[in-house]
Amino acid sequence: MPFQTDGTVIENRRVKSLYYILGMDCPPIANHIKPGQFIMLKVSEDSSPLLRRPFSLYKSYPDSHPEKKKRGCLFIYYKEVGKGTQKMTTLRKGQKVNLIGPLGKGFTFPPLPSSANIILIGGGVGIVSLYPIAEALRGAKLFVFIGGTTQDDILCLEDFKKFNSTISVATENGSLGFQGTVVDLFISQRRMFTKNRKSYLYGCGPVGMLKALAKVAKFRNFICQASFETRMGCGFGACWGCVIKTNHPQTPYQRVCKEGPVFPLKDIHWE
Amino acid sequence: MQNCDLHVTIGKLALKNPVMVSSGTFGFGEEFEDFIDLNQLGAVISKGISLKPMVGNPPPRIFETEGGLINSIGLQNPGFQEFLKSKLPYYQHLKTRLIINFFGNTQKEYIELARRFDGIPGISGLEMNISCPNVKRGGIVFGADPQMAFHLVRSVRKATTLTLIVKLSPNVTDIALMARSAVEGGADAVSLVNTFRAMAINIHSKKPELGNIMGGLSGPAIKPIALRMVWEVHQAVKVPIIGVGGIMKAEDAIEFILAGASAIQMGTANLINPRAGIEVIQGIRKYLVRNKIDRIQKLIGAFG
Repeated sequence: MPFQTDGTVIENRRVKSLYYILGMDCPPIANHIKPGQFIMLKVSEDSSPLLRRPFSLYKSYPDSHPEKKKRGCLFIYYKEVGKGTQKMTTLRKGQKVNLIGPLGKGFTFPPLPSSANIILIGGGVGIVSLYPIAEALRGAKLFVFIGGTTQDDILCLEDFKKFNSTISVATENGSLGFQGTVVDLFISQRRMFTKNRKSYLYGCGPVGMLKALAKVAKFRNFICQASFETRMGCGFGACWGCVIKTNHPQTPYQRVCKEGPVFPLKDIHWE
Repeated sequence: MQNCDLHVTIGKLALKNPVMVSSGTFGFGEEFEDFIDLNQLGAVISKGISLKPMVGNPPPRIFETEGGLINSIGLQNPGFQEFLKSKLPYYQHLKTRLIINFFGNTQKEYIELARRFDGIPGISGLEMNISCPNVKRGGIVFGADPQMAFHLVRSVRKATTLTLIVKLSPNVTDIALMARSAVEGGADAVSLVNTFRAMAINIHSKKPELGNIMGGLSGPAIKPIALRMVWEVHQAVKVPIIGVGGIMKAEDAIEFILAGASAIQMGTANLINPRAGIEVIQGIRKYLVRNKIDRIQKLIGAFG
């Protein structure tokens, strides 16, 4: 159940190039948000920008968290790209921001994660949405594929190192790791994932990347979920502005904010 | 002084306050129940319903502009049958007025829908959309031609006993003329305005920002134009006017009421702040108290 509530900024720092982490103290949302869900943030009090902006969960610490200081806190990652995110960079510690969340349907997990291949594939800031999966499946063996245009776009590398994970990196200009797209990199390593272990694939990134991923997943018979990002009006299902085309027979246009943002990749209708 | 009177009357409908939520920005009501008590609203208006289901327009469907939002949802809705089955029951539990927004592609469809909604428990009124700018067939034709609008409203009027509100398009030369046609046809009230036809182009890809190329502009950017149109219509017709267009806060709502609106609808504001409608009711009450006005009705058209 979503809440509309204020959060207090506890941290707003630049990680590198255009990427920032925003931390907020907001127990109602921090206590309930699940991997793959998102929040809608009102960037400014005036109407510039007019609409809220959606951000998927990066880290959250419920009241049950052992570290007292972190309890009730929530973190998102954002890239400074337009008017809204530019304004966000000016948020200061102690300022209030209005939030709606948790929103949307998150990721679902295999019944026995330890007996499956858990594969995370993220492009650009998309990898951030997959980080909570690593937290949720702590202990399971993870195969993490991180991609970006340049090495400046490779995020969360240190985060994933804390887990039982094999990490591979791809950059389109070759400045770090494999030269090419993250899906190309994954294809080059696909034989690691034999058919005698079930493979669960989790993806997030630009539409082109997810389309390429859908092809591989279908061919290899992987169970694949992906988190989608579209322009959103409200974030809670009222306006039907954020739809994507699916294979649903009666209602092909499904809401990313409500039925998603996580969809089984096989359900998506690619043009 | 908390008991200043916010009641207004639209046709046969007595509303506890003048704040409604406009069609298409309030889903099927249930999307808002986590955030507000819907019963506090003067009325809720459903998403637009057609006889047959509509899949809607291809994405992208929305684009934000300075102080505005262009949308081309394309009236996606489950159709009359499915609406009754899966959406109406939620509304029927509410203790506020439910107004059904509906539209057809032909005059026959309008009449058929009006007839079918008549007598269904829980439905207090109908808002006829003759003005949606998104769907090529139907809508725009009726809403832009005073003669066609008159005939359409007259035939729908005969098909229902419910309070009939006609929602007017601002995409006309003379909105007062359109309002007069609707009233002559038998409308109990008019709501205005729907969105302004608009578009946006991405200069990098040289492609439209919307899948449908054109959409309708809403939000604070359109408020001054909507206000002017309400005032024009107020001078032209005697029936109640429901003011719509970029109302974000109580001050905006009061402006519309002063210009002649008996009630108002919140649209885009609901998407940004699900509590917007409730906050506007509180704000109107405060304004009345501060200005020692005991009844909101005294404010309607009190401009000039």
